[in-house]
Amino acid sequence: MSLRCVVVTPERTELDREADHVSLPMFDGELGVLKGRAPLIGRLGYGTLRLQTAAGPERYYVDGGFAQVENDVVNILTSRAIPVDLLDSDEARSELDAAQDMSGKTPEEMQVKELATRRARGKVRASK
Amino acid sequence: MANARALDKRRKSIRNIRKITRTMELIATARYKKAMDRANAVSAYTDRLSQIVNSLAAAGTEVQHPLLEQRENPKSARILVLSSNRGLCGGYNSSVLRTTLPQIEELKRSIGEVGVDVSGKRGIGGLKFRGVEADRQYTQFEDQPAYDEVEKIASGYLEQYITGQMDRLDVVYTRFVSTSKQIATIETLLPLGSLESDDASKDLGGEGSGEYEFLPSAESILEEVVPTSFKTKLFKCFLDSAVSEQVARMIAMKGATESAGDMIKQLSMTYNRARQSQITGEIMEIIGGVEALES
Repeated sequence: MSLRCVVVTPERTELDREADHVSLPMFDGELGVLKGRAPLIGRLGYGTLRLQTAAGPERYYVDGGFAQVENDVVNILTSRAIPVDLLDSDEARSELDAAQDMSGKTPEEMQVKELATRRARGKVRASK
Repeated sequence: MANARALDKRRKSIRNIRKITRTMELIATARYKKAMDRANAVSAYTDRLSQIVNSLAAAGTEVQHPLLEQRENPKSARILVLSSNRGLCGGYNSSVLRTTLPQIEELKRSIGEVGVDVSGKRGIGGLKFRGVEADRQYTQFEDQPAYDEVEKIASGYLEQYITGQMDRLDVVYTRFVSTSKQIATIETLLPLGSLESDDASKDLGGEGSGEYEFLPSAESILEEVVPTSFKTKLFKCFLDSAVSEQVARMIAMKGATESAGDMIKQLSMTYNRARQSQITGEIMEIIGGVEALES
């Protein structure tokens, strides 16, 4: 019996399969999950979700959200989960440029800008 | 009595209209089922989200966030009106508009500056006719609103709210209660008020309410939960209106098909009578002619 990984987006359940090892792109770095992990709720960043399944590795770009691990089930709530092959590297790059051009005069604007930059960086990294 | 040929023509055209309304009804039924499935799919997401909120609360985290707090003396408000792009759906759009107008007046009185955003051509047209110009217009939403599109709008609102350009956001949409009941509702989405969802499916956390480890920290998770729950709430509004629109169209078209059937029955009767009287008239003429010749 291995891990079960469920990825849910608001539109549908994107992914539901067994995996030997799941690597989550947490807010502050990657987190590997193996069978028997203690229960956990975590905040996801913008990055790559990696699964080691019996059929081989799989990679998805995850757009923020949450992860919940309990009883060998990894629940991932995210607004978007895109297989890495479908990402466009050029598009991600232009998004990053746009984010860096945003104005950041007030602390609030700074916050918005930082979020956009972080998201675009994650996308660029995942699309490589 | 009207002449038989004109009656027949009219009957034919009504038959054609009935064909169209029946087809529209069938299409609306199919779309309604699809939209309903999507609305159900989102609940899988919201259930999990409220489970996370519950375990945060259970761990003793104080649920506090700038988006949850009422602002003192708000200056500018915004209303988002969700209507449909197409007509022929009964009272769907008019009931949304009827709810919107008093709310605009009310907000103008209490807050002052009110901006109006409208989704759907019918709503844009209807409000323009009543002298309300929409700041932003969205016409890309059909029977299956995409989360990506809604999220863009939601992020825009969050940005405006955080930077202080807007102090309140109301959404006017049609809430789907059942197939026979949809209510035009006003919901205040910003400030959010509370994170509790009104769905009665909150006891999901019972299965293994173990001690969770929060990474990086409960506060950081909360920081993300609040905007996410705003986005899903807005998305749910869009889905609800899409479902309600299809139901409204389904019912309106069903009524239209039935009335067309009744009308055809009525016209057929009149037509037969007219035809019969025409024949009788002709026979009378012939008989009259024969009698005239005999005498």
